[in-house]
Amino acid sequence: MTGRLSARDLSLGYADRDVVKGLDVDILDGRLTAIVGANACGKSTLLRGMARLLKPRSGEVVLDGTPVTELASREVAKVLGLLPQTPVAPDRITVGDLVSRGRHPHQGWFRQWSPADEEAVVAALAATETADLVHRPVQELSGGQRQRAWVAMALAQETDLLLLDEPTTFLDINHQVELLRLLRDLNRRTGRTIVLVLHDLNLACRYADHVVAMADGHVVAEGPPTDVVTAALVEKVFGLACVVVPDPVAGTPMIVPADGS
Amino acid sequence: MSVLAPIRADLRADLRADRRGRRRRSLIVNAALAAIVGLLLLITLTMGSVRLSARQVVLSLLGLMDNDAVNFVVQDIQWPQAKSAIATGLALGLAGTLFQQLLRNPLASPDFVGISSGASVAAVAGIVIYDFGGLGIPALAVMGAVVSSVLMYVLAWKDGINGYRFILIGIGVSTFMYGLVGYLLTHSRLEEAREAMHWLIGSVGQSGNTEVNLLLGALAVLVPLSLVLRRLLRSLELGDDTARVLGTHAETARLVLIGVAVVLTGLATAVAGPLIFVALVAGPIADRLLGSAAGGLLAAAAVGAAVVLASDYVAVNLMPTQLPTGVVTGAVGAPYLLWLLATTNREST
Repeated sequence: MTGRLSARDLSLGYADRDVVKGLDVDILDGRLTAIVGANACGKSTLLRGMARLLKPRSGEVVLDGTPVTELASREVAKVLGLLPQTPVAPDRITVGDLVSRGRHPHQGWFRQWSPADEEAVVAALAATETADLVHRPVQELSGGQRQRAWVAMALAQETDLLLLDEPTTFLDINHQVELLRLLRDLNRRTGRTIVLVLHDLNLACRYADHVVAMADGHVVAEGPPTDVVTAALVEKVFGLACVVVPDPVAGTPMIVPADGS
Repeated sequence: MSVLAPIRADLRADLRADRRGRRRRSLIVNAALAAIVGLLLLITLTMGSVRLSARQVVLSLLGLMDNDAVNFVVQDIQWPQAKSAIATGLALGLAGTLFQQLLRNPLASPDFVGISSGASVAAVAGIVIYDFGGLGIPALAVMGAVVSSVLMYVLAWKDGINGYRFILIGIGVSTFMYGLVGYLLTHSRLEEAREAMHWLIGSVGQSGNTEVNLLLGALAVLVPLSLVLRRLLRSLELGDDTARVLGTHAETARLVLIGVAVVLTGLATAVAGPLIFVALVAGPIADRLLGSAAGGLLAAAAVGAAVVLASDYVAVNLMPTQLPTGVVTGAVGAPYLLWLLATTNREST
C-alpha cells in the first residue's frame, strides 16, 4: 500500500554535492513518522525535497498520484505543510497575527479573511495551548512557547500532511517531551499525517509509530521502532556501540551507550 | 466538544480583539500621519518666503483668487515645491520600507544599497553629457536604478538572496556608482558640474513639473498595487521556506515587489536627487508608531512625506542661507544610522 506522499528514486543535493541518493520512501497515512540519522545524513534535505523546497536532481516526489513539481504551489500548500528548522518572523508580530498567516494559501487577492479562517486559527491556538498568548509578541516568548506558536501556524494551514524539521532542537527536555506529546495527540485526534526529523533516537522510539533510519543519503531501515531499532542498526547508522533495552515506562526501545573501553 | 465551546468562544473574541487592535492602531497612526503631513503642507504654504493666510492659499489653489502676486507665490513657487516634497517623500518612504521588509534588515534601504546611486549616475550622465531635460532624466534615472539593482541581485545571488550579502554588495555597488559620478563630473563644464552637485545633494525645489507629475502618476498606480501585493510581502516576511510552503512563489513575488520599489526610487531620484536617509528612516519610524501593526506601507510613505516636507521647510526657511533639502535629511539621518549600526547586531542575536 502506498501513502499519499512518497519519494521515488529521489536524488537531492546542493551545488556540487549529492545529499539524498536515489531514495525510495512511503509516508504512511495517518501515522507519526520520525526520520532519524546521524548529522548530515540527508534527513532534513529529504524533508525539504518532499515539501517542494528543493528540486529533485532525479526521481520524484509524488503527492496524491502526481509529481509535486507538476502541481501548483497553492494546491500543494493546502495539503502539505512544513515547519522549517529555524523559522523567522518580523520583530513585533503577535502570536495571533503569526498563526493567522498560516491561512495564506486559503485566501485570495480579494477574499482575505473569512469565518473559516477564524475557525482554523482558533482550533490551532486551542490545540497548541497558545490561546492565552494571542496578544503577545512572538519575540518575547520562551523557546517552548515560541515553538508551539509556530506549530499553531502550521496547523492553521489545515493540511492533511505536516512535516516538521527538527522541531525539538532548541528546547530543553521538558519542552521536547511536551511538544512530541502535542504532536502525537494531534495525530491521534485528527488523523493528520505527521513526519518529523528528530535527533533524539530515544524520543523518536517513544513517540513515533514509524521510524525511517537514514545513512549517507539512503534509507537503511524503516518500520515500527520496536522492530527496527536494534543495537546493530544504531551501530550502522550512528557508529555508536550500544545496548538497546526496553524503555521502563513505555516498553519502546531505549538506547544506552556501551562502555567505550 | 461542549466543554470546549466556551473556551473557543473566549478565544475567538481574543483573536478578534487582536486583529481589531492592530487595525485600529494602524488606522489611528495613518490618520495622525495624514494630519501631520497636512499641517506641514499648510506651514510650507503659508509660512514660506512670503507670509500668507490659509484662506489666501486655499483660494489661490482653487483658482478663486484675484490677487496676481498671491497667485504667483502660491502657484508658481510654494505649491510646486510642496508637491514635489510630498511626492518624493511618499515614494522614498514606500520604497524604503519595501526594501527593508523584503530583505528583513533595517539597513537595506535603496539609498544605502546602490539603487539611488545607480539612478544618480544615469541622471548625471543625462545632465552632463547629453544635456537632457523633460522626460529624459526620469527615464534615465529609472534605467540606472534598474541596472544597478539587477547588478546587485546577480552579484548577491547564491541559492537565493541573503539580506546581509545583498547589503554589503549594495554598499560596494553604491561606492562604485558614486565613483562613476565623480568621473562624469570631471568631464563636465563648470556650470553643469555646479548644477549636478546641487542635484546630487538632493533638493526638492529644483525639479521640473514634468518629473513631479510623472512621479505622482507612478504613485497613483504603484501605491494601490503595493497594497494589493502586501499579501505576498506578509508571507515573504516569514522567510523564503515558509513563504513557499504557504504557496507563494517567493522569487517572483520578491522580484515584483523590488521592481515597484526600484521604479519609485528611480523616479523620486529624478525629481529630488539622491535624497539620503529618508528611505532609511521612514519605515522604522512608522513601525515604532504602529507597534504590533508594524509593516504598514501607507504609514511609512506618510512618514517619508512628513520628513521631506519638514526637512525642506527647515532647509529653505529656517537656515541663514537657503540649503538643499539633502543637507537637512543628512544631518538628521546620520546620527540615526550610527545608532542603527551600533544596535543592529546586538538585536539580531
